[in-house]
Amino acid sequence: MKIKFFDANAYIGTQMLGVYKSAATAAELLEKMDEVEIEKALVYHMAQFDYSPEEGNKMLVETMAGNKRLFGCWTLLPPQTEEVIADNFFTQMKKNRIFALNLFPVHHRFLLNGVVFGEFFKELIKRKIPLVLSMREGGATWEMLYSLLKEFPNLTCILTDLSIWGVDRYTFPLLEKYEKVYLESGVLSLHEGSFEMTVKKFGAKRLVFGTGFPEKYQEASMLHLLHSNISKTDKQKIAAGNMEKLLSEVKL
Amino acid sequence: MRNMSQLAKDIFKYGRVKDCPVYDMHGHMGSHYGIHFPTKSAEKTVKSMQAANVQKLIFSHHGSLMMRDGNSLSLKEARKFPGLLKVYCTINPNFPEVTEKDLAAFDEARHVYVGIKLLAAYHKKPITDDGYKKAWEFANKRKLFALVHTWGDNNMNGPEQIDEVARKYPDCKIFMGHSCHGEWDKAVLLANKYKNVYLELTAVPDERGPMEKFIEKAGSKKILFGTDMPWFSYHNYIGAVLGAVRKEEDLRNIFYLNAKKLLGEIGQL
Repeated sequence: MKIKFFDANAYIGTQMLGVYKSAATAAELLEKMDEVEIEKALVYHMAQFDYSPEEGNKMLVETMAGNKRLFGCWTLLPPQTEEVIADNFFTQMKKNRIFALNLFPVHHRFLLNGVVFGEFFKELIKRKIPLVLSMREGGATWEMLYSLLKEFPNLTCILTDLSIWGVDRYTFPLLEKYEKVYLESGVLSLHEGSFEMTVKKFGAKRLVFGTGFPEKYQEASMLHLLHSNISKTDKQKIAAGNMEKLLSEVKL
Repeated sequence: MRNMSQLAKDIFKYGRVKDCPVYDMHGHMGSHYGIHFPTKSAEKTVKSMQAANVQKLIFSHHGSLMMRDGNSLSLKEARKFPGLLKVYCTINPNFPEVTEKDLAAFDEARHVYVGIKLLAAYHKKPITDDGYKKAWEFANKRKLFALVHTWGDNNMNGPEQIDEVARKYPDCKIFMGHSCHGEWDKAVLLANKYKNVYLELTAVPDERGPMEKFIEKAGSKKILFGTDMPWFSYHNYIGAVLGAVRKEEDLRNIFYLNAKKLLGEIGQL
C-alpha cells in the first residue's frame, strides 16, 4: 500500500532572519512537495507571523492562486480591531480556499480567551473550522491553551510545532479530556516512542501528519511515520486521512 | 523520492538496509526530570535500534548526568547487551572524589567504556576547569573518546573552550556533541583545524541547513551520527540526514564508517 501524504504544517515565504532554502512561492513549495511525494498541504505564509496577519493573509491567497493541492490557513487577530475578521469573513474564506485558521497570541500581542473571541469561536465550532495553534515561540502557551479549551471544549484544535523537549506531560491530559484536540506529528515524531504511545493511548484519529517545512526536513517525519510501530491503516489515517476528513467537514 | 541515492531510497522503502548499519555515538537512557520518555530501558532501546539497523549505541545514563555518582547505572544497562551498547563515563567536576573513583575503576569496565562524557553547561563549570583535568589527561593518555556537550554562545562548552582542550589534549578524540549548536561556522573551523575534533549530529537535524554546511565545508569524514536517544527517534533523524545528504558515500561515512574506524582505533569494534 502506497501511503499518501497531506502535510498539515508547512509555510511559504521565509522568516525575517532567513530560513535555509525556503519556498518563496506556492509554486516552489509544490516543487519541493513533488520531490518528496507529498500530495497536499495546509499552508500559511510566514508574513502572516513575522510581518502582518492582515497583509500576510492576502499574500497567501495571491501565491496559492487557487491551486487545488494547497489548503490555506489564515491568521486571526481579535475581531474587535477589524484588521482580519470583517464582514463576509467566511464567504471570503470559501472564495480563497481557506480551510483553517491559526493564531499567534504572544507574538501578535493579544489574549486568547472568550472575552476576545467568544462569539467568533462559537461560530468556528458550528462551522467545524479547525484552529491551528502553533506552540512555537510567539505562538500559544500551554497555560493559554488549557484555559481556552476549558472555555471552548468543542473547538477543533490542531497543535503544531510541539517542543523539541517532549511534551507528553502537556498533551496527554488534553487528549484525554478534549476529543477535538489533534496533534501534528512533525516534532512529535522526534521523540522515541512518544508517537506510538500517543496512538496506542488515544487512537490514530488524534494525529495529523506534518513536516514543519521549511525549517524541518520533510523526509524526517515521513520516514518516521512510514516505519513507525503502528498498523498500516493507522499510518494512512495519520498521513492524510484524518486531515482530509477534518477539512471535508468544514462548512463555509 | 526524486534526487535521492539508491541507498536513501532503500532506507525509505525498508526502514533499514543490511549493508548500511547505523552507529549512534550519542545517546542516553533512563527517565528524566523534564520529559516523559516511553523508551527508558536497555531492552526497549535495543528494540528501537534493531528497527533501524542501529548496531551500536554509545550512551550515558540520565542518572549519571543528573545526580551524583550515577555511572553504575550506565554500566548496568550496557552489560545487558555488551555487543550493542557502550558507555561514556560521565565526569561531573562538582564531585572530584567520584571522578577519582570512576577513573580508578575504569579498567574493570574497559569492555564497555569507550571514553568520557562532559556536560559542562549543566554542571556549571567550563570544560577547561581544573575539575576535569584528571579526566582529560586520562582520556588523552589512553587515546579515548570525549563526548562533550557543546553549544554556541556559551562559555562553559562553546567553541572557544573546545579550541583550548583540542590543543591541549591532541590524542583524545573529541566529539562536539550538538556541534556547537548555532555557531555552526565555528564548529566547522574546529573540525578542520584539529585532526582529533569531530562534528556530532545530535540536535543538528532539528533545522535544515547546518548539515549541508558541514558536508560542504568539513566533509563527511568528520561527521558522526548521534541522536540523544531516547530524546530523538532513529527514523526521524535518519530521515533528516537523507534529506540533507545526497551522496551515498557521504551517507555511509556518517552512518557508520567514521564510527567504525574510531572504535577500531580504541579496540572497541
